[in-house]
Amino acid sequence: MAGAHIYQTLIVGAGFTGIGAAIKLAEAGLAGDDEIVILERSDRVGGTWRDTRYPGAACDIPSLLYSFSFVANPGWSRAYPSAGEICAHIEDMVDRFDLRRHIRFGTEVTRLAFDEEAGMWTVAAGRKKFRARTVVLASGPLPDSSFPALRGLNSYTGHKIHSARWDRDYDFTGKKVAVIGTGASAVQIIPELVEQARFVKVFQRTPGWVIPRLDMAMPAAVQELFAKVPAAQQLARQALFWGHEASATALVWNTPLSGLVAQLGKAHLRATVKDPWLRRQLTPDFTPGCKRMLISSDYYPALQRDNCKLIAWPIATLSPSGIRTSDGVEHQLDAIVFATGYDVHLTGPPFPVTGLGGRSLATDWSGGGQAFKSIQTHGYPNLFFMTGPNSGPGHNSLLVYVEGQIDYVVRAVGAIRRGSLRYLDVRDDVQRRHNQQIQRRLSKTTWMSGCRSWYLTEDGFNASMYPGFATQYLRQMRSFRLADYHAVA
Amino acid sequence: MALDMDVMLTKIKDRQWALADIDWDAPGAELVRPEMTPKLKKFMADLCWIENIGARGFAAMARKAPTATLAEIYRYFHAEEQRHANAELALMKRWGMLEDGEMPEPNVNIRLAMQWLDDYSDDLPLSVLGTVIPMLEVALDGALLKFLLDEVDDPVCHQVFEKINNDESRHIAVDFEVLEMIGHADARKLAIEFVGTVASPSLIVGALISIPLLNRIRNEVIGMGLDPQRLYSALMRFTQFGERGEHTRRVPAYQVIKRYSGWMANPDSPYHLLANPAVWLSGFYPKRLLKPIPSWFKELTHEPAA
Repeated sequence: MAGAHIYQTLIVGAGFTGIGAAIKLAEAGLAGDDEIVILERSDRVGGTWRDTRYPGAACDIPSLLYSFSFVANPGWSRAYPSAGEICAHIEDMVDRFDLRRHIRFGTEVTRLAFDEEAGMWTVAAGRKKFRARTVVLASGPLPDSSFPALRGLNSYTGHKIHSARWDRDYDFTGKKVAVIGTGASAVQIIPELVEQARFVKVFQRTPGWVIPRLDMAMPAAVQELFAKVPAAQQLARQALFWGHEASATALVWNTPLSGLVAQLGKAHLRATVKDPWLRRQLTPDFTPGCKRMLISSDYYPALQRDNCKLIAWPIATLSPSGIRTSDGVEHQLDAIVFATGYDVHLTGPPFPVTGLGGRSLATDWSGGGQAFKSIQTHGYPNLFFMTGPNSGPGHNSLLVYVEGQIDYVVRAVGAIRRGSLRYLDVRDDVQRRHNQQIQRRLSKTTWMSGCRSWYLTEDGFNASMYPGFATQYLRQMRSFRLADYHAVA
Repeated sequence: MALDMDVMLTKIKDRQWALADIDWDAPGAELVRPEMTPKLKKFMADLCWIENIGARGFAAMARKAPTATLAEIYRYFHAEEQRHANAELALMKRWGMLEDGEMPEPNVNIRLAMQWLDDYSDDLPLSVLGTVIPMLEVALDGALLKFLLDEVDDPVCHQVFEKINNDESRHIAVDFEVLEMIGHADARKLAIEFVGTVASPSLIVGALISIPLLNRIRNEVIGMGLDPQRLYSALMRFTQFGERGEHTRRVPAYQVIKRYSGWMANPDSPYHLLANPAVWLSGFYPKRLLKPIPSWFKELTHEPAA
């Protein structure tokens, strides 16, 4: 039985976050041989970026910022990295830091349970069992996807493709294709599809704010400079970081600068979309930042191609041959692409987690996740949530926030091991105070300005976003105080 | 009892239908007598464009809706009005009134109305469109469509308009609930909004455009044999529905439209001394001054499948 061995730290997920955590734990001397294990459900590392392989898949944060400051990569080929290049970078991280030996591929976690007596987590992965003193949940904020609950979904007999699980064997050449959704994935897929398909119909529910993407190939001279003078790359990263930080004053809080972003979005529309009615259909009616900003320079031109049409009518139902819209028309289609996003687990991970006294995380978080500094929650000791509740940025790189979380994990795991503690459980009152403050601050943000977004639960509770600058988040993560915890030796 | 908008939205989603649900080749088209065709074609074309204009009105209202549910309802109503227009086009096609690729030509009044809607409707307060649209829907539902069913024996026409009427009854229920909601606002807000709107050039232009438009349609349908009393009774339903509400009568726009619809429907009203010359005069409106037909107008189709 695999459970006989006790790991010091078990990491769930070998994506960017899990690998980053393993690197820093090793650097702190907390990941010796047989001390850590990384469980990965797939047969490759890369997480969401491994699974997101639709044509044109890329990150909407610049390469220099969408990477860890502690893993130099002077070789980024473009200003914005493609999914493939991100995956290659993650593979490179694994090799460079010799982490492959810690990874158990094809191992999908199905249950977590804490043994209070032993101060030990038991992690079930199907029939396999692992035991570990601390667990880092790095399964990512967007690990799963499913088809949306549309009427008649199963009656459609054509080809169905989800943007998050792309079918690379399907040939779109000469096909009539629908794309449902106009979010971050759709604006990348549509320009690629119009090049291949005979006709593309784009079904839109809510238009988003679209800002031009200033992408370019990274000049060889710059790559060479970054390779020879790493400080130059760090400087460029800092410049990008502070540029993104400044954008929080428009995107996180509703200020006069938010109006300026709206004007920029409208100017982009006016400059690229000729038809007034199409422009009206594409004009958002919410404050910029309330939903994720869309960064694209080729989405609007693609929509205006002769073989593309925006359809803003509500979808009444799917039928065996296509999509019926409420204007009474049936759109007959060879394939439907569901660019409808990911399943966001705002109420906890998609498997049971049992904490102190048999308490269930699904019950505790049924109204939306709540944690202390986004990373630990009362009643579930020695368990660390990466990209946990209220850790999401609306204006900066997620990986900047993840670095803060990794630092915190290293401090906390170090404290547990140095103090030979059985467990560390964050105090209920400390967590409650922290969340009261977070929710108070959230009430003033753009995310709570009235639009529906995946940042909020069905009841409108914001369990996902951090209401502040990345700098503030990092400052809170740098401070680890034992006084905030109930420490059991 | 107040209408539960969430329940209404679910009902709307449950009751969607498509052109493909109707057998457009079923027997009965021959029941449209050849002597009816010219006038019926004109009437159907206007009806279809009026539905399309109503659709544009709902698009503007969706932007003004005070709740997300109501905005979503208006999004559906926008599409449903378009569906009605599409279905009416499909009937015209069935009756041999449209050649392949032919679309009915919008008359000058329709063109002016669409231009005005595009220019101003998104900036109007909910109370203005929220009052005009129910008036048009009551007139459509209560007089024009029922008249059409009396005149045309084609069973497919009856099948189509049964579906349209069912949609319209939901529209009317929501319309009057919203009027009631608007009437809840305090008197000061209602007065300021009303004065601000009436004094605006956009509404004055809108009134000047709608007077000949509505009178042209009224004259056409009366010319086809509609008893003016029937139109009058239909428009009286607008008042009846409005007076049922506790607060609707507090909406100044409602009071204006109520009086206006009374004048329009009453053949003896001196209002026609103004409106009919306006119809005649609008015929001289220089075509070159008309803006190009907006692209939303070109989305109409009689094809069940695309």
